[in-house]
Amino acid sequence: MESIPDTTGYMIAGFVVAFATMGIHVLSMYVRNRNLRRDLEMLESMDKPEKK
Amino acid sequence: MQSKPIALTILDIISVIVLGVATYLALVFAPTEAVMGQVQRVFYFHVGTAWVGLLGFVLAAISGIAYLVTKDMKWDRFEVAAVEVSTMFFFITIVLGSIWARPAWNTWWTWDPRLTTAAVTELIYVAYFMLRAGIEDPEKRARFGAVYTLLGGLSAPITFMVIRLFRTIHPVVIGNQSAEAQGGFSMTPDMRTAFFFALFAFTVIFIDLLWHRIRLGGLQEKVEQLKLNVSM
Amino acid sequence: MNHPAPSLLKATFAIVRKDLAAEFRSRELLSAMLVFSMLVILIFNFALELDVKVRQSVTAGVLWTTFAFAGTLGLNRSMAVEKDRGCMDGLLLAPVDRSAIFFGKAISNLAFMLIVEAIVIPLYAMLYNEVRIFQVEFLGVLLLGSIGYIAVGTLLSAMSVQTRTRDVLLPILLFPVAVPVLLASVKASGGIIAGADFAEILTPLNLLIVYDIIFIAVAFMVFDFVVEE
Repeated sequence: MESIPDTTGYMIAGFVVAFATMGIHVLSMYVRNRNLRRDLEMLESMDKPEKK
Repeated sequence: MQSKPIALTILDIISVIVLGVATYLALVFAPTEAVMGQVQRVFYFHVGTAWVGLLGFVLAAISGIAYLVTKDMKWDRFEVAAVEVSTMFFFITIVLGSIWARPAWNTWWTWDPRLTTAAVTELIYVAYFMLRAGIEDPEKRARFGAVYTLLGGLSAPITFMVIRLFRTIHPVVIGNQSAEAQGGFSMTPDMRTAFFFALFAFTVIFIDLLWHRIRLGGLQEKVEQLKLNVSM
Repeated sequence: MNHPAPSLLKATFAIVRKDLAAEFRSRELLSAMLVFSMLVILIFNFALELDVKVRQSVTAGVLWTTFAFAGTLGLNRSMAVEKDRGCMDGLLLAPVDRSAIFFGKAISNLAFMLIVEAIVIPLYAMLYNEVRIFQVEFLGVLLLGSIGYIAVGTLLSAMSVQTRTRDVLLPILLFPVAVPVLLASVKASGGIIAGADFAEILTPLNLLIVYDIIFIAVAFMVFDFVVEE
């Protein structure tokens, strides 16, 4: 019986990629959300004075 | 936009917890596999993300049909959200598979049916976003997106069946049977626990991200509407 | 005055006749597809160093790649012309069933593709001394593959011409969805050239037929959603 091959490096790389991808996705949603909220505030402030 | 519902906050917390538990089960709890060694541990995340990836694509095709029938924008928001989250998870699936394949098959990539179908499917959904990016009118964007997810959902299974022909007639590198020989393994009860928990965990995370993305879509729609109002 | 709406068949062939008449006058679409096909085959000759041995295994692949590329060129142009000259709006206003527009465009696109194939195949046979491509089965596969490709392509080109990125979008949308039809065609026609048993090419042939039926039906059903204003 051969010894178990050492593939720890690959394993670490795999988990890093998985967490990084999910992290980037969450971050991108957060950034998009923040930008949209900023736009929304600006648009609402532009919208109101015109109506008066 | 209404404030964040409490249920979503609770789901966020649960998602973080199950992700942590799934990681623990995969990294520590499950025994080291005898042939592959440590790298086999990515398998739990590989299958978990693949499952939610495919689930999302099926849900997207269904909501595409629902949109075409009802013309209700909520189905469009659901569809984009499902495609985006699934494309992200499916990317993880492909990369993890590739990382596993390097020590297991001694190559990063082989044109086996599953891998090829996965790559083609991922490309279909990348094309989906390029299609949407090229259309300004939200209603038209929704219609075209729905049609394309429907086509993609139909074409992917046929792709899989066709590619299987190539490999069964040519010498089989990694087919259904020889997968057993090249890196396949039988699961111990502890592995099975980690495996099923990963499926459960990624389902929860998928629902959580999907919910967030749907809310983001709603916000997007509101901003677009307001921009139209202001410019008029 | 009471003009009854023309039957689906009549309307379809009216559109086909219009397209073919316009094309035979200008010949811009066919000549572009043809010259392009010849250039692709020329490039393949150098890129793959098509000597006798290589040719046997790659003929089907080279031909299908050529037709797929030339096909997108034709599909894009044929739909863009409708859009730019405002013909599409006219067609949509006409009292004809929308499916007549789909079938009309699909049939004329198929006609263009088959004309290109009918010219390129003998030329290929002559240039590479490959006479095995003149078999009924090979030509049958060519027809089935072209039908599936054009059915999806017509639907997707109707979508892509309405986008901002229309010059580049069609192949990106079409190729991943058309992968099954291209692979099954290559598999079946490659088998025929290699002289395989009919049993061996039966499965790709069946898949090709299944794909054709599913995608003609779906494209026909959803075309309404694509052209609606």
